[in-house]
Amino acid sequence: MDWTMWVEWIVKGFVLCLILLTGFAYLTWYERRALARIQVRVGPNRAGYQGLLQPIADAVKLIFKEELTPGHVYKVVFILAPVLTVVPSLVLAAVVPLGTSFNLFGREITLYVADVNVGILYLTSIASIAVYGIVLAGWSSNNKYAMLGGIRSSAQMISYELTLGLSFVTAIILGNSMNMIDIVNEQRGLWFVVIQPVGALIFWIATLAEVNRAPFDMPEAEQELTAGYHAEYSGMKFALFFMAEYQKMIVISMILATLFFGGYLGPFVDQVPLLGPVYLFAKVIILLFGMIWVRATWPRIRYDRLMSFGWKILLPLSLAIAFITATGILLADVLNNQLFFWSIPVVSIIALLVAVAFIYRDLRRKSHGRI
Amino acid sequence: MTAPASTTTIDLVSRFPEFVTADTRPGFSGFIVKKENLVEVATALRDEFNFDLLSSVTGVDYIADNKMEVVYHLHRTTGGPGIVFKTQVDRVDPMEVPSLIDVWAGADFQEREAWDLLGIKFTGHPDLRRILLWEGYEGHPLRKDYQEAFFEEETKPFKSRWPEGHHTYAEFKNPFRDNIKLPENFKLDNYQPENEDQLYFSLEKSSMKHTSENQMGTDHMVVNMGPHHPSTHGVLRVAVELNGETITSLKPVMGYLHRNHDKIGERNTYLQIMPFTDRLDYFNSMANNFGYAVTVEKLMNIPVAERAEYIRVIMAELSRIQNHLIFIGMLINDLGSMYTPSLYAFEERELILDIFEAVSGARMMCNYFRFGGVVRDIPADAMQKIKDLVHDRLPAKTDEMERFLNENEVLVGRLKGVHVLNAEEAIRNSVTGPVLRAAGVPYDLRRADPYSVYDRFDFDVAVRYNGDMYDNYLIRFDEIRQSLRILEQALKQIPEGPINSQKPQYQVRVPAGEAYGRVESPKGELAFYVVSNGKPNPYRYHVRAPSFVNLTAVETMCKGTKIADFVALLAMLDIVMGEVDR
Amino acid sequence: MLLEYIAIGVMILVATLIAFIAIGLGGLFGPKKPSAEKDTPYESGMNPYGEGTRRMPVRFYLVAVLFILFDIEVVFFLPWAIAFRQLGLFGLLEMVIFIVILLIGYVYAWKKGALEWE
Repeated sequence: MDWTMWVEWIVKGFVLCLILLTGFAYLTWYERRALARIQVRVGPNRAGYQGLLQPIADAVKLIFKEELTPGHVYKVVFILAPVLTVVPSLVLAAVVPLGTSFNLFGREITLYVADVNVGILYLTSIASIAVYGIVLAGWSSNNKYAMLGGIRSSAQMISYELTLGLSFVTAIILGNSMNMIDIVNEQRGLWFVVIQPVGALIFWIATLAEVNRAPFDMPEAEQELTAGYHAEYSGMKFALFFMAEYQKMIVISMILATLFFGGYLGPFVDQVPLLGPVYLFAKVIILLFGMIWVRATWPRIRYDRLMSFGWKILLPLSLAIAFITATGILLADVLNNQLFFWSIPVVSIIALLVAVAFIYRDLRRKSHGRI
Repeated sequence: MTAPASTTTIDLVSRFPEFVTADTRPGFSGFIVKKENLVEVATALRDEFNFDLLSSVTGVDYIADNKMEVVYHLHRTTGGPGIVFKTQVDRVDPMEVPSLIDVWAGADFQEREAWDLLGIKFTGHPDLRRILLWEGYEGHPLRKDYQEAFFEEETKPFKSRWPEGHHTYAEFKNPFRDNIKLPENFKLDNYQPENEDQLYFSLEKSSMKHTSENQMGTDHMVVNMGPHHPSTHGVLRVAVELNGETITSLKPVMGYLHRNHDKIGERNTYLQIMPFTDRLDYFNSMANNFGYAVTVEKLMNIPVAERAEYIRVIMAELSRIQNHLIFIGMLINDLGSMYTPSLYAFEERELILDIFEAVSGARMMCNYFRFGGVVRDIPADAMQKIKDLVHDRLPAKTDEMERFLNENEVLVGRLKGVHVLNAEEAIRNSVTGPVLRAAGVPYDLRRADPYSVYDRFDFDVAVRYNGDMYDNYLIRFDEIRQSLRILEQALKQIPEGPINSQKPQYQVRVPAGEAYGRVESPKGELAFYVVSNGKPNPYRYHVRAPSFVNLTAVETMCKGTKIADFVALLAMLDIVMGEVDR
Repeated sequence: MLLEYIAIGVMILVATLIAFIAIGLGGLFGPKKPSAEKDTPYESGMNPYGEGTRRMPVRFYLVAVLFILFDIEVVFFLPWAIAFRQLGLFGLLEMVIFIVILLIGYVYAWKKGALEWE
């Protein structure tokens, strides 16, 4: 084994982490500015040009905050929980290809940390580790709000993980591989979002729930549980939870872009490989804006509705979508008729409309109280 | 709606000749009931005379007559003037009066308040704990022989503040930190919070877990929501017993913002109280001023200048609009929407506050009303602003908010079908205001018992019939529209002329007597009960705060609901802690 | 291929290091003013009544069990999703049978009220 490989791994790992950390910092700025625009406010604009130094000021402030570990908590777990939350959120990005490769000092540098042939399996497994951090944080805090928040959170996350897993299955069926790079290359002709828009939508909804974003920010539910599982955390340990949430937002948008929106693909990306990260970055920013927009405009779904939405609507729908996709591709293959292939989006959208109709019926059927 | 019956038609004395007498003190009205027969008379009033709404319960300490008096004000939800009856006990502890909680559940908190502040023991009350003060407080501060720490004189102006004809501030005599008298041997460092066993005991006692079937032995968890909680609208504390996500029992705990408004009222002169009323419901200082001014004018028996009446109505309705806008914004905020609707609502509110600032000099603490009129006339440019707002901007913005919000699926899903109160529960709990009207009772004081010049305007009483959260939310929009209708007419009809029927004066002469004046504040029925003995200060000054009384229903409303709904239900009552704790 | 996992391992180490450095920085620069009040659990400013950690409603446990059940389904889906083009219509039919069996369980759980939160 070559020592340069080790250097390359360490440097790439470090650089990726730094990209994500910077991304996290500036995502907070981006979110605050975008929210402010939507809410007829200005947002942070004092530190630096257009408030661009605000994230740095925040980081410095957090470093100089008291690192408090209250006496009533289970100390080891309490300190490990934020670490256990933040590490998966960083490592998740290892298999996401930012581009192909480029030459640096005669050495071929690939624009991804690892090219794992079961990349998607890796994603599902790492993504589910994050729930440990949250539930352990809730439990070790020895606080009722935190406990309730942690338990709620774990139940919600595992419920939506099923949907997430089935959406991954849809992507695998379309890409005919578990390797992220293969899936991207498969989209050279056509982004998968065109073939399977509903799959992309379900994936996006499930990720919103996975990263505990509005309208699924149940575990935090400021109005009900004050801060949920991180009620007892302060200073840098709290910042790690915060960091994990935003990094997961970024990474999961990267994954969504990779699986359904052509990843790093774009014009001239084959000639200039360094354009790959730029394209991915642009797609991620647009997807992130969607998340921020939802947060700015939607109230929170009540917990019982959220669970029944996950179990009764999204799970069957995602199962149906995966199945429709497979059937369409298979029939097109076997009968050699492209019509079946193009019926996939049509049938999927019909399935979606049926699901929406179910929700509407449920909303209308709600009884009018005890009168 | 039946024709409003006047007080004179009710002859309680001939109905109960043995134990009811008419109150014949000069300036007083109503009936005096023997306390042994109180429940009987109350039940008859409710069932035979249809006085279904218990408006207010309060006590007055007549130390000179050695009597403690409990005053009850009843009204009909069909409208018309009310009836007042009193009962008296000797001023010897324990002063026991039968509780009327079985007749009107709305007596609950008000009787607890009377016990807390006056020491009247309501026998038969199931949960007679202190409500505004804490357990372990010594004495009952509204008794006339109670003297607070650093007591100087019974009434203002205190002579010590004018030592040589110059005013000195109390703060100079008693600097900050020294202005508290602590019990002897009290060390702040080893302070132990008061014992709360009584609260948790009463929480346990009213729990549903004894009635509902066994939930596989899961623990019921007692959680305190508040006082430092983002969604209890201030420092309200609610002790909640949870089974998972479901509330099995709850008890509101209040008083963290208590300043004994009633006692402040007794210390100050009539006009000095006016700015204090601003602080009750600090969103609607105009409405509070209105209620207090109406009451004292009733007592003084003076007319109000014609133009001032219209200015009052304009201000009160603007205040209602901004209150409801805030309500809608903050409700959706409580549902978990990241501030966006509330900030849109705040934008409109700022414009209304601009008007308040233009007329009174203050945006929130307006102190604008005077007995017989208002302080200043509306400046011409402010008048133009009001017209622009009422005719163009506010209707358009209300439409816009309705268009954005009413059909939002999550909002509808969260609000529709979630029961708040039905008409019967609401009336029993003395709930007034939009919550009552959303349950299908068209009880609006502007129509039911018109005050000021409201009888000259053409408007509908907003009413909805389902009593769920969605109706409670929509009725706020309805009321904004009706307020705009009133404003349009008021702006058209407003006459020129003086703005006060009286001369500007610092001290008003108030004849002896009692008065109960009520107005429709945006949160419900705001009433003031003022007893005068002819001196410059009121003998008794009591505020019937709508937020406080509406809160009585919170237990009925929230038991058995999800904790997420609890937050929204609490928002539905539209409480302001300045008014609850007083 | 294994090398790729070493790369991931290196990244995990780097990420963990970053996390601990972050906490360490806070501990290094932050003030330390312990007090008895800070040691009490946060419960909206009141003294907590009862334990912080306790038995939770059985509902949550039920969700966990259902999750395991259906997660296995997803795991079975993954290899099929890779190979379904080779397996052809036969594989599809097999999958239909598999899903139907699962759906029966799903409908059973639904009818039993395991998915309700009332």
